[in-house]
Amino acid sequence: MSAFEKKSVRIGVTFLSCGIIANFIPAVYVYFAYGIIPPFSDLLKIWGVALAGFGITYIVQPTAFYTMMGVAGSYIGWLSGNCADIRIPAITMAQKASGYEAATPEGDVMATIGVAVSTFVSIFIISLFTYLGGEVINNLPPFIKNGFRYLMPSLFGAVYMQLCLKHLKAGFITIILAAGAAFILKSFLHVHIIWLSLVCIAIGIAVTQMVEKKGQ
Amino acid sequence: MEFKEIINSPGMWIASSIMIITIIVESAVFLKAGIDEARRMGIPKERWMAGIRSAAITAVGPSFAPVIIMMALLAVMGTPTTWMRMNDIGAARSEMAMITLAAKVAGVEPNTASWGLKGFAYALWGMALNNVGWMLAALLLTHRMSKVVASLNSKYDANTVKLLIAGSGIGLFAFLLAPALVPYKTSTWIAAFVGAGSMVVISTVFKNYPRLQEVGLGLSIVIGMYVTAAIMG
Repeated sequence: MSAFEKKSVRIGVTFLSCGIIANFIPAVYVYFAYGIIPPFSDLLKIWGVALAGFGITYIVQPTAFYTMMGVAGSYIGWLSGNCADIRIPAITMAQKASGYEAATPEGDVMATIGVAVSTFVSIFIISLFTYLGGEVINNLPPFIKNGFRYLMPSLFGAVYMQLCLKHLKAGFITIILAAGAAFILKSFLHVHIIWLSLVCIAIGIAVTQMVEKKGQ
Repeated sequence: MEFKEIINSPGMWIASSIMIITIIVESAVFLKAGIDEARRMGIPKERWMAGIRSAAITAVGPSFAPVIIMMALLAVMGTPTTWMRMNDIGAARSEMAMITLAAKVAGVEPNTASWGLKGFAYALWGMALNNVGWMLAALLLTHRMSKVVASLNSKYDANTVKLLIAGSGIGLFAFLLAPALVPYKTSTWIAAFVGAGSMVVISTVFKNYPRLQEVGLGLSIVIGMYVTAAIMG
């Protein structure tokens, strides 16, 4: 590891550690201000499903993106997010515009500069729109406000299709089986909804593996 | 205090700002370190300035992409939390997934009469518990990532891992969608199918329009919402 990479590690570890604490501050604040906190068993349930649904990506995504993002890019990117759509393109363009190749010492420096700059830009734009959106949402006309009643099913329908675009058959089979499981668990078994989440994730994994590997 | 006042209170703004400040300061420190190193290495100023300009311009377009889905977060979580979560790790759709999941554990539904401080608190913990996964992985692995990459590549077939990720994502969102479809309710089915159908059309018929693809998810959601509103009256 070069001296610059070692320095990047020191900076990154410091701020990522601070970020991990900052990540929990709003939740802890609500507890101290209003006395509301989920019981430990509920926190475990929530965390368990998050782990089942996203856990593999915690390891695979930082690993897969590392060669493109580098040390500093990783420390900034896994705190500020938008790695695939903002950070990596910014890194690539910073290297291209400056005329340095990736995986060279100069390229790594340009990656560091590029990802840092991209963060300032994205924070500015997203903050502006969040503030404007927050002002606008209170003054929306009735028809627009009425549409928000259908937000959640529309959102999950659209997201589900987005995820299934490359796995249409697996997605179709999974939603049918998941709907069947939801019907059985809700109507007959009356178990906690968290069990349905684990069943659906298991169905998704099994069906995708079977359908896609059969197709190969 | 009313629920809307609480989630938009000065206290929530301050609590949410700590993460934003951390990210900004981290980026400033890295930017200075990068520029100092560029000077030490003899990289000409015009070259690293060109890199800065190009990175800044490149970041503009994609930063607009989550604007529509951000409105969904605003409606449910208020401005301070949306501001924090849109600027930190965790895509908007993952945040919405964790909000809904945590709400189910709390026994409430976002954006309904049952949604209140309890659901909000559960959602805050849900998003925090999910996002910390990526942060911890980066914290623990980045400094030895070359070895981790080599190890993963040698132990696991890349295609199997890709399918595992796809399958777990499909399964999780099937869990979030399925209970909305069962028992049958006309408005829910219309919204889900129109949202899904819009996503298909935008991704296939309009696949050669990159700018449209960036906002495709948000647009699909809005189409689903307002087609349903128009049909249901």
